[in-house]
Amino acid sequence: MNPGGRAVAVDFVEDEFEEIGYPETLPTYSPHMDESAAARRRLGKGKPEGAEEKVWYDDEDDYKAPSVRSISGGRPAQLALPPPTTLREFIFQNMPSIPPLVYTLLACYTRFHRIGLSATVVWDEAHFGKFASHYLKREFYFDVHPPLGKMLVGLAGLLSGYNGGFDFKSGADYPPEVPYVAMRVMLATFGVGMVPLGWFTAIELGMSQWAAHLVALMVLFDVGWLCISRFILLDSMLLFFTFLTVFCLSKFHNQQSHPFDFDWWTWLAMTGISIGLVTSVKMVGLFVTALVGIYTLQDLWDKFGDLHLTPREQAKHWGARVLCLIIIPILVFMATFKIHFMILNHSGPGDAQMSSLFQANLYGNDFHNNPLEIAIGSKVTIKNMAFGGGLLHSHVQTYPTGSNQQQVTCYHYKDENNEFWFWPGWDQKDTVWDPKYGSHDPNDEEVRFLKHLDVVRLVHVPTTRNIHSHTIPAPVTKANWEVSGYGNATIGDVQDHWVVEVLGDVVRGDVNRYLEPKSATVDPRARIHALTTRLRFRHQVLGCYLSAGRTSLPQWGFKQIEVSCAKEEAGSKPAEGTIWNVESHWNTKLPPAARSLSRSPFLTDFIHLNIAMMTSNNALVPDPDKEDLLASKPWEWPFLSVGLRMCGWGDSQIKYYLMGNPIIWWGGSISLIIAAFVSVGLVVRRQRYGGGRGTRKPAPNSLNGDSGRNGAALASRPGDGLTQREWAQFWHVTRIAGGGWILHYLPFLIMGRVTYIHHYLPTLYFAVLMFAHLLDYFVFQVPSTASASLQAVPTSSISLSDLSSIPKIIRTFRSLPRITRIKVYVFSITVSAIFGTFWWFRAVAWGIEGPVRDTWGLAWRENWNIYH
Amino acid sequence: MAGTGKLRQRVPVSGRANFEYDRIQEEEHTDDVYQNPNNRHPIEKILETDKASVVVVAVLTALAFALRFYKINHPDQVVFDEVHFGKFASYYILGEYYFDVHPPFAKLLFGLAGWFSGFDGHFQFENIGDSYTQNHVPYVGMRALPAILGSLTVPVVYAIMKQSGYSTVIAAFSAAIILFDNAHIAQSRLILLDATLIFFMSLTIYAYVRFQKLRYREFTSEWFGWLFATGIFMACTWGSKVNGVLTVATVGVAVLIDLWGILDYKKSPSMDYFWKHFAARAIGLIVVPFIIYLSFFWVHFALLPTSGTGDSFMSPAFQETLAGNEMLLSAQEIRYYDTVTIRHKDTKVYLHSHVERYPLKYDDGRISSQGQQVTGYGHADENNNWQIIPTKALPETGRGRIVRHNDMIQLLHVNTDTVLLTHDVASPLMPTNQEFTTWPRDDTSRFNETLFQLSLTDAHDGEAWKSKSGYFRLIHGQTRVSMWTHTKQLPEWAFRQQEINGNKNPSEKTATWFVEDIVADETGEDPKERTGHQPPKVPKKMNFFRKFGELQLLMLQHNAGLTASHPYASGPLNWPFLIAGISFWTENDPQKQIYLIGNLVGWWTCVVALSIYVGILGADLLARRRNNDPIPEPVRNRLWNSTGFFFVVWAVHYAPFFLMNRQLFIHHYLASHLASALIAGAVLQFILSETINYPISVEAPTMRRHKRQYVDIGLKGPIIFALFCIAMFSMFVFLAPLTYGTPGLTGDQVNGKRLLSSWTLHFAAKKTAEVVP
Repeated sequence: MNPGGRAVAVDFVEDEFEEIGYPETLPTYSPHMDESAAARRRLGKGKPEGAEEKVWYDDEDDYKAPSVRSISGGRPAQLALPPPTTLREFIFQNMPSIPPLVYTLLACYTRFHRIGLSATVVWDEAHFGKFASHYLKREFYFDVHPPLGKMLVGLAGLLSGYNGGFDFKSGADYPPEVPYVAMRVMLATFGVGMVPLGWFTAIELGMSQWAAHLVALMVLFDVGWLCISRFILLDSMLLFFTFLTVFCLSKFHNQQSHPFDFDWWTWLAMTGISIGLVTSVKMVGLFVTALVGIYTLQDLWDKFGDLHLTPREQAKHWGARVLCLIIIPILVFMATFKIHFMILNHSGPGDAQMSSLFQANLYGNDFHNNPLEIAIGSKVTIKNMAFGGGLLHSHVQTYPTGSNQQQVTCYHYKDENNEFWFWPGWDQKDTVWDPKYGSHDPNDEEVRFLKHLDVVRLVHVPTTRNIHSHTIPAPVTKANWEVSGYGNATIGDVQDHWVVEVLGDVVRGDVNRYLEPKSATVDPRARIHALTTRLRFRHQVLGCYLSAGRTSLPQWGFKQIEVSCAKEEAGSKPAEGTIWNVESHWNTKLPPAARSLSRSPFLTDFIHLNIAMMTSNNALVPDPDKEDLLASKPWEWPFLSVGLRMCGWGDSQIKYYLMGNPIIWWGGSISLIIAAFVSVGLVVRRQRYGGGRGTRKPAPNSLNGDSGRNGAALASRPGDGLTQREWAQFWHVTRIAGGGWILHYLPFLIMGRVTYIHHYLPTLYFAVLMFAHLLDYFVFQVPSTASASLQAVPTSSISLSDLSSIPKIIRTFRSLPRITRIKVYVFSITVSAIFGTFWWFRAVAWGIEGPVRDTWGLAWRENWNIYH
Repeated sequence: MAGTGKLRQRVPVSGRANFEYDRIQEEEHTDDVYQNPNNRHPIEKILETDKASVVVVAVLTALAFALRFYKINHPDQVVFDEVHFGKFASYYILGEYYFDVHPPFAKLLFGLAGWFSGFDGHFQFENIGDSYTQNHVPYVGMRALPAILGSLTVPVVYAIMKQSGYSTVIAAFSAAIILFDNAHIAQSRLILLDATLIFFMSLTIYAYVRFQKLRYREFTSEWFGWLFATGIFMACTWGSKVNGVLTVATVGVAVLIDLWGILDYKKSPSMDYFWKHFAARAIGLIVVPFIIYLSFFWVHFALLPTSGTGDSFMSPAFQETLAGNEMLLSAQEIRYYDTVTIRHKDTKVYLHSHVERYPLKYDDGRISSQGQQVTGYGHADENNNWQIIPTKALPETGRGRIVRHNDMIQLLHVNTDTVLLTHDVASPLMPTNQEFTTWPRDDTSRFNETLFQLSLTDAHDGEAWKSKSGYFRLIHGQTRVSMWTHTKQLPEWAFRQQEINGNKNPSEKTATWFVEDIVADETGEDPKERTGHQPPKVPKKMNFFRKFGELQLLMLQHNAGLTASHPYASGPLNWPFLIAGISFWTENDPQKQIYLIGNLVGWWTCVVALSIYVGILGADLLARRRNNDPIPEPVRNRLWNSTGFFFVVWAVHYAPFFLMNRQLFIHHYLASHLASALIAGAVLQFILSETINYPISVEAPTMRRHKRQYVDIGLKGPIIFALFCIAMFSMFVFLAPLTYGTPGLTGDQVNGKRLLSSWTLHFAAKKTAEVVP
């Protein structure tokens, strides 16, 4: 070591002894972390104090050692209390559990009160109730949302004795046998759970008791959350699991000081599980997943710069995150689908979304009555084998562009417009078939089986048009040729000719056999099988392949999938969208083939269904031609510019109006704006003043139970006016609340999908946290100067308990220091405003009875269409 | 406790000091090697002299001019967007008002070029392929302007690199990427805005680099000079094309980072010092550019005093400032009992009614009111006449009879003597909208449903309703729907006329109508002479700032509205890899075509360089996080600060396109491509040399002198450069027929030029589909 270094070390130790008295007992402290602060001091030591320092510019910035976050925010560790010995001690120790308990009971009241008032199908109950019926009847259905939420609705139905017989028509009255009240109550229980989760999350985030009360009260009294929780909808579950994820994340954050402990593992795994759950309810859950992801990346980046961790520990940290935050959620997500497939083993309305093989294994499916081998003259439906592929379809509507001929599309539901005949090409007409399917020239008794490289026409059964292609660009995918329906049984041309190419067979494999065209008629092994043989249709003239992509047609094509003729480079791999199989097959000349098919593998079904969900989700774009009165734009949400009528608005109906508690929504949004400014201000101040000035005194006794000595120690960097603890706490909550809000809000601005106000409800939680956080930062966590008296009267006892001794409270209140009284004022005003507006608007969530005009004064903003 | 703390703390500190020491040792060692400029390779020494630099620049520039002016007269036809920009130039010469989404600077230059070369503006550039020679258009003069600017971009790129401290060979390397680039050349040889945009964008970068180099000589006149130069060039960039706003954003980002550093308490002694810096930049980079940008528009308005194609985009008030505008000439105040024809602003159909009634039942099973049809009809017809009936008492004569904003009126269909009505019945085509019909005038039972409120656009209370200029919405008094129409046609029973219905959206923009003409007044007379003899109308004056504001808003709206699909539009992800180009022009007979595509060698080099650069930064970040310093300090500084600036230029000119919904083309990437060429040079230097020319900033007298370093890439630099140029030039020549549009190519040749299967070239020979036997 060089001599200079030794001198430095001596200085350093003195310095440290005087100012940096880190106690080892402080759990959030890790010993190596104050190194950069110390190092800075060491560098400045050479210059005399107070002498103006000439700054020497270099062409570079001075080298900065990796800065490691020294003290993280969150809930300071609590001392574990000894087990209670007396009842009094027991009560005292459990005092902190009383407020959440009370709030939970209150939440039960608000959520369950008059829950069965409207005995009609309200709003999207029409969807989710129906899905529950499908679960109870075990019929396969299709929906854009993952299955967990709907399975829970089904479970609620099962538990309450619903038999699945009601079709949940929108606005219809519930018949007596549908236990809708019980179902609503079960789902509202998730809404009840939000309230204690809000409380505990606030506590875990390191907020003061005041702020925790605020968070719980806001969750309790927001009419939007209340309203959405009271029906048979997925939102209460989505909200509950979102809250749960944030809670688990903040809980996990507080375990950071002792990694790989049992608690640490528990909460990490819990975070992963709740991510899985929230994503399995609605895909919106990916936003909160992104929040966890970003938090984790930052955390790991910090760990990566921590030179004291051994590579083994680093790897363990990474491994733990990969396991708990990636693998576990995916397993949970897949498990819900597995259960979904296991329950829904009967044929139902969603069949056509899935592969033919999957459908064939559903009970009630009639595929096994179909003949096995396809022949010329068979009537068939043709299924695209790409993930999410639909059935080849045509209908009388024509293309508004291009050739203006009949549309050919890919459609995901079964109807007779999906049916086609395989007819021979025009040139072979005289030798074979009568246009009536099944019956044919009586002289020709021989069945001609379809084989590789046969030239066929695909004739649409209801309209008798031939599937046709020509050198006109397809309507959406301009690079491909248009495919249309043209001519009829007698009119047509060679552009109707398609060459059947066999690629192989899902079950029987072996492509080569099919490539021998001569042996095909004779050799049964070379025949084309329904369901399993993978086919392509090459246009004889153009050489392009019949193809269905993922692109939807515009409104004129009913948002169905575009079918086009895709040009393909010779020798390239067949594109997924050009591969088809025969699904249903009718031919009276052929015997039905009873057979048992192997199941399609779960993973294939899983991917297939997810892609289908994604495709139909993307097709939910707003239709410019049709105005959707319920839809709203994301920028209308934060300040509650719009509301949503959830049901009919007749005088005799019970009316529900989805809106929020204006104080909470406006307050949340305003605090987000303020937080943005405060954050910028703090960063600028740190950049400007570094370690120079302190405006706020160190907190010897903050409300969080820092002991005096710790507080003083933490105040060792007062430069930007904040103690390290305050700085860390501010950023911890700001990044969870602010980051969460941005991640839940911005995507809606970007995505083209049609959006509704209830999409903001998960986002609102982060605004609420920010609201409480800012009040906490500016008011509740401001250290009081005469802390002794505050300590004597625990805050919780002022606000809730001890209501009997009012004079005592007044006396105590008067004796409180000014700052504490301000806190009480701020708290009471906020709470009364929240409760007041809740009470004012309670009818929108509890149901407006009678003419809406009778409920007075609800339209606070012009756009709220409560009255007109 | 203190004891344990001491022990624990000391270990890392001493370890650190050792490490520091080693680092210094190592750096001093490298410094030694390159301290003496005379130790460099002789080639390097020669190349680094000013003379050599001048020679290199001269050669590059000469080549650039040669490549851009080669056969500039071919084709003598209108190519691609020359349709627009040539036309705009002619409008400047004729003084006719036009509207375009791009700011006017580059187009003004074209106007100027056209004027210089003797273009009289008669040719309208109507279609791609129209002949210039037949119409006697001095198009070469107009094309020379972008060609000159495009050529000059090459030496500017060289200068940027040179000023940033890269050696001559490296600077020439970056310049060569632009010099031999087919896309830049194709774009600069035609009457298009991009050459101007890119030239001024590169100048902005150059000026900013010069400004940054003077940062230790702050507030000197030189410093201010380059600051203002940055601002001026920036304004020119922005004024050339809307995309130029990205250059403004780039400079903005760089300045913010710069100011953030100045704000640091370790760097600046007082806050005043910071504010001085802040104010200088605010004036130089906000105020000055904005004034220049405004002045472009001032000139634009001043040059276009008469009515033209752009009239109908503008507000009535604006239109009345244009000489010869119809609105100015024939706008008249409308009085009650006037018979008028009413037209829809967007689809230009007349409000029409006829005796036929709606069918009782539509095809989809819905029921109508079976009332008289109200439709939109495209042609003049007696049935378009409507009389305005008051709902209030009127004075006998005088201005009290004028219809005003927010008046409640009835509209009487003159031919059938019925009044317009709407009610809560679904319209024939849209179940969400209300049906419009009419009701006999004398049957007062539904009087309230026939009342409409006249709401003039942007009007104040009591404003008079004028024909032509008075855009209005007709809002139903009872149900508050606005009368609206859309391009869908009704079926045969309504003679395929356009549907008119009540739109429930209170702020629907397309529900705007205007009175085309006053057919007759109360007495049935022609109302033209009503106001007595009128003096010839002179164009009105309008505040320049209001005009400017209105035009800016419209430009933004229309830019966002360019969402229609285009066969050659491509997504941003395709651009750096040259996945697809644009067909600019084709000529069938000798099979000639111009296809905008870049030089494959150059572009892919840039992509590779970008990925290497990002890789180096990533590796450096990770290494530093672990307290390793693999890159010597000065080199790292150059990478992060200088090349980092180029990277910001690249990213800011590229990333926003991912968020845009409008149609995008590969030429939107040219600015980013230029930035990536700069990065490519920097990366090449990083690979070839362990040092850099350092420091390059102009020294301040108070500064501590830094030990100088000199780069030495020796002979390998020129060799690599030469090889690269050969590769670039070969690829350039190979693609040249597509760039210059000559000579014509046979089908097989076209197939040969199709290096990527995604290039959609014309005249490709048909590949016979291989049929599997």
